[in-house]
Amino acid sequence: MLQYLIILLDDMSTSYCHYENSRTEKNLIPLDVLKVGIRFGMMENLMIQFVYPNYELTKEFKEAIESIDHSKIISSLCEDDEITNEADVIVYHDWTGMLYGTTLEDKCVVLRTSKADLFERYMLLKDVISKVSRLNIVIKDVEKFRDEDFDRYKQVLNALSEHIEKLYVNGKSPQLNLLTDRMMLKSMNNCGAGDSNITLAPNGKFYVCPAFYLENEKESIGDLENGLNIKNKQLYRLDHAPICSHCDAFQCKRCIWLNRKTTLEVNTPSHEQCVVSHLERNASRELLSNIRKHGTFLPEQDEIKDIDYLDPFDKRNEWQ
Amino acid sequence: MMKSIKRWQSDLAKNITFIVTKDCQLACKYCYLVGKNEKERMSWDVAKKAIDYILDHKDDMQENSVIWDFIGGEPFLEIELIDKICDYLKTEMYRRNHHWFNSYRFSFSTNGINYDSEKVQEFIKKNRDHLSIGITIDGTEVKHDLNRIYKGTGKGSYKSVVRNIPLWLEQFPYGGTKVTISSPDIPYIKESVLHLYSLGIKEVNINVVFEDVWQEGDDKLFEEQLMLLADTIIDGDYYKDYACSFFTENLGKPLDPVFENTNWCGAGRMLAVDANGIFYPCTRFAQYSLREKKAWAIGNINDGIDKNKLRPFLVLDRLSQSKQECIDCEVASGCAWCQGENYDAAETNTIYQRSTAICKMHKARVRANNYYWNKLYRKLELEGQREEYEKNKRKVKPEIC
Repeated sequence: MLQYLIILLDDMSTSYCHYENSRTEKNLIPLDVLKVGIRFGMMENLMIQFVYPNYELTKEFKEAIESIDHSKIISSLCEDDEITNEADVIVYHDWTGMLYGTTLEDKCVVLRTSKADLFERYMLLKDVISKVSRLNIVIKDVEKFRDEDFDRYKQVLNALSEHIEKLYVNGKSPQLNLLTDRMMLKSMNNCGAGDSNITLAPNGKFYVCPAFYLENEKESIGDLENGLNIKNKQLYRLDHAPICSHCDAFQCKRCIWLNRKTTLEVNTPSHEQCVVSHLERNASRELLSNIRKHGTFLPEQDEIKDIDYLDPFDKRNEWQ
Repeated sequence: MMKSIKRWQSDLAKNITFIVTKDCQLACKYCYLVGKNEKERMSWDVAKKAIDYILDHKDDMQENSVIWDFIGGEPFLEIELIDKICDYLKTEMYRRNHHWFNSYRFSFSTNGINYDSEKVQEFIKKNRDHLSIGITIDGTEVKHDLNRIYKGTGKGSYKSVVRNIPLWLEQFPYGGTKVTISSPDIPYIKESVLHLYSLGIKEVNINVVFEDVWQEGDDKLFEEQLMLLADTIIDGDYYKDYACSFFTENLGKPLDPVFENTNWCGAGRMLAVDANGIFYPCTRFAQYSLREKKAWAIGNINDGIDKNKLRPFLVLDRLSQSKQECIDCEVASGCAWCQGENYDAAETNTIYQRSTAICKMHKARVRANNYYWNKLYRKLELEGQREEYEKNKRKVKPEIC
C-alpha cells in the first residue's frame, strides 16, 4: 500500500541510498509543480519526504514545503544552516565529514560508504553510534562483494556488535540499521519502492525511486496530470518476489533498483545482496542472544532462528 | 491410445543450444524468429570457445545428461560446422572424463529440405546412436504451403519436404513432427493430422502459437476441428498406433496453488549461445526471436555466465507470473506458456507477466479433449477393453519446453 511520497526538489538532490547522483546541473522543481505534488500527497494521504539539494531554496519554496507535515533529507554539505538544523535525515558521503561533523547529536544519520572504506574504518563508527539517534549505513557497492569480502564483513559486524552490546548493557539504545533493525522486526521492512513509496521528480513525473529517474527519465510511472500508472505493480510487492517472500532477513534493503541492475528483475535480489543481508541477520541473532544474557530484552520478540544458509536461493528446492 | 514417446532424458538432461545460423531457406509466416538473416553464422572459433567454457564449468551444470541442440534458421545449412562441433564435443567429453560422456544426444529440428544431402546423411551415419531429428511438416500440402513458404519466391515447400519423409522414417521410425497452428491453419487441422498419419508419422505434436494472433471465433472453429479429429481417431481406431498431442488425459484440471506451482518453461535451466558468443537462457531471448524487446543476455563466452541473471528464471513459479484469473482457472492444467513470448509481450521488461493470448484456444482444446476421453473410454468399456487399456498405458510427464 502506498504510504510515502518522496519529492526530489532538484536534479542535484542528495542521494541517500545505493545509487549515485552524478548530476551537476541545477534543475529545481517548478514551484507550481511542487505545490501540485504536495496536494497530490495530501489527497492520497501520503507522508512526504523532501530530498534537498545543497544550495539554499527561496522563501516561496520553503513556504510551500512547510504547508504540509513532512521529513527533510539533506546532505551534510547542505549550505542552508536553517534546513540543516531542521533536517530529519543527514546524509554523509564521506567518513571524514561524518567523524568531524558537529550536527550529529540525536540525528538520524546516513553514511554512504564503499565496502573498502567500511572494512578499513569501521572501528571509527563506535563514537558515531554512541552519539546519533540512528545510523544507517548504505554500502554503495554491495553488488561487488566477493567471497573474501563476505568473511571480512562478518568480522566487521561482530566487532560492531560487541560495541552495541556494551551500550545496551549501559542502558543506552543505539540504532545501527545493520545490526539492531532485525532484532526489532517481525516482518519484512525493505526499500518499498514502487509499493509503499514512489518518487516525484522535478519534471512533474512519478518514478519508482530517485535512481530510476536519474538513470532513465523515460521510465516514469505516471505524472501529476494523469495520476499513477504503475505497470506490473504487483512485482514490487513481497508476495510476487519468490526469493524474498521466503526470507527472514527482515532488515534487508531489498533495493528494487539494485535488483533490476544485477538480475534484470525488480523482484529478484542478487546473490551478493542476499548473503550480505544474511550476514547481518545472523550477527543480529548473536547480538540479541548476547544482550539477553544480561537480562530481559525485547520480550515480545521471538528468537531469531539458526539457519544453515546465507542465500535463500540455495534452498529453493524446499519451497518450489 | 499410443502415448507420445518421452523426449530422451527430458527431465534429467541439460539442454544446450547452438544457434549456428540465423539463415533459413524458408520464410514461414508464423515463424517467431523475426530477425533472421544471412550474416550471423557461427564461426568455429566461437563454437569452440563456447564448448570449452561449458565443459570447463561442469560443477555449474550437474545434470546427468546433455542434449546438444542445433537450431537456426535451418541448422543443416551449417552441417560442416555442426560436424566439427560434434566431433570436438565427443573428443573433449572423453578427454575430460566428463560426466556427460556417453550420456549425450545431438538434437535437430529441421525443415527437412536438405535432409537427403550427402553431407547430412554422412553426419547421420556417423552419429546415429546419439541423434534425435525432427522434421517439421505441417500436414496436407495446402496446410503446409499456407505458411511454410520459400524465402523470396513465396513458393510452398511441401514437395521439397515430403520427398524426404520416407528416408527419415526409415532412419528414425519413431520420429515425431511438430505442427504449428496459427489462425489461418485452423480449418486444416483434422485433415492434416490424418495426412501425417498416412505418411507413417506416428507421433504428431501440435501447438497453437503463443503469440496474440487469434481472431474472433477462432476458438469455436478450433473446437470443431478437434471434435472432428477426435471422432475420426476413435472411430477409425487410430488411437491404437498413433499419437496426437492435442489429446492429453491430464489436461484441463484446476491446479493446486501450493503443490502445483512449478514453472512449465525450461528457460534458464537451458542454455543457448549465438554466433556472437552471447549466452541466453533460451533461444527465445536472442534478439532475432524478439519483436518488441531487447535481447536478454546472461553472459558471453569470454566473461562467462552471470549467475545473478539466471536467478529470476530459476525461482520463477506459476503463481508469481500469473494473473489471479489464471491462478483460479478451473481448467488450468496443460495451459502452456513460453517465457520468451511472455517477456516479449509484457508491458515492462520482465519475464514475470504471463501472456494470456492463448486462453480461449486452451479452453476450446480442453472441451474437445474432455469429449475425446469420454468418448474413447465409453468405447473401450463397451468393447470390454478398458481394463487392458488402463493397464498398458504409460504415464507421460508433460515435456518441459
